[in-house]
Amino acid sequence: MTELLSIENLTYRRNLRTILTNLSLTLNDNQIVGLLGANGAGKTTLMRLIAGSAVNYRGSISINGKNTGSERKSMVSFSAQLEGVNENLKLIKIADYFNHVFPDFEMNDFEKLAANLSIDLDQHFISLSKGNRQKFVMAITLAKHAKLYLLDEPFNGIDSMSRKKIVASIIEWKPEDATILISDHHVTDIANLLDAVAIVKDHTVVTQKSADEIREENGQSIETFYESFYEEEGTKND
Amino acid sequence: MDFDDRIPIYYQIKQYICQEIIVGHFKPEDKIPAVRQLALTLTVNVNTIQRALAELVNDGILESKRGRGNFVTADLKRLNEMKHSIVEEQLALVYDRLTDLQITPEEMVRDLTDYIDKRKGEKQND
Repeated sequence: MTELLSIENLTYRRNLRTILTNLSLTLNDNQIVGLLGANGAGKTTLMRLIAGSAVNYRGSISINGKNTGSERKSMVSFSAQLEGVNENLKLIKIADYFNHVFPDFEMNDFEKLAANLSIDLDQHFISLSKGNRQKFVMAITLAKHAKLYLLDEPFNGIDSMSRKKIVASIIEWKPEDATILISDHHVTDIANLLDAVAIVKDHTVVTQKSADEIREENGQSIETFYESFYEEEGTKND
Repeated sequence: MDFDDRIPIYYQIKQYICQEIIVGHFKPEDKIPAVRQLALTLTVNVNTIQRALAELVNDGILESKRGRGNFVTADLKRLNEMKHSIVEEQLALVYDRLTDLQITPEEMVRDLTDYIDKRKGEKQND
């Protein structure tokens, strides 16, 4: 295993608010890692920073030793890259656009993914249900070949059949050496899929641990382990 | 397959494969499904399957053939040992529980025989 992502002492403020503070995180290649934390803990912001779509931070973020935002962007496939897309377009047109813009986007893979996920590409993006939208986002994200995949809440608000199909496409399509970081606030969806978890709380990563260690050493489920970080201060709201 | 989330998944997959061998779904010298296929069937990470298979190869239950995949061993003695140790594991749980309840070995044998008769009876009444 070699180190893929290295974040050291990352601090990020926006509009005078601290979003992340003194955050460190290391991910190896060939892993599926859960990024767990309550809503608003800073998971999405962290992904934006890794992907190079948020800037003006302090600390260092490197992927395969590369530090600049544009270098990182070329090694990452981020599920939020569909934000700002023209929602009136047909799905096939959006895929064509990605195929033109990103050299690492593989149209053949996209078509297979879309077929596996039963997505009708003649639909317009705006007409998609939440579940179909998440499936389409997943097909676009996995069709781009990358070292690091950032999946932001891919199971948010979807039915269990869509969830199963998305999980299957993650298992089937993850390139061998690539690492996938999946954020979620409801870990049971993905507990069986994870090599490790990183828990975000109070604007930082409070722990990072392998799934086997949690089960073997602590004798805990990932869910219990995750919840234990939030239970301690149930009454202390700031 | 439903996993117990408090027990490492690779360990539960080892048990699953051993069970498939014991009940004859995988026979000696059979090729077992490819890693990614198993991952999809069991809805787990490929790394988890690889760890489970590597340990089973190490235990002499599976044999890895380069470029061809993983096969159940032809060593029937080894497979019998595996079955025996899994049965023993289950008996150990029952034995320890009943010992905690201060049941004597003689009572255990009698209770177990009675229980088996009762289950047999239930089956026939189905």
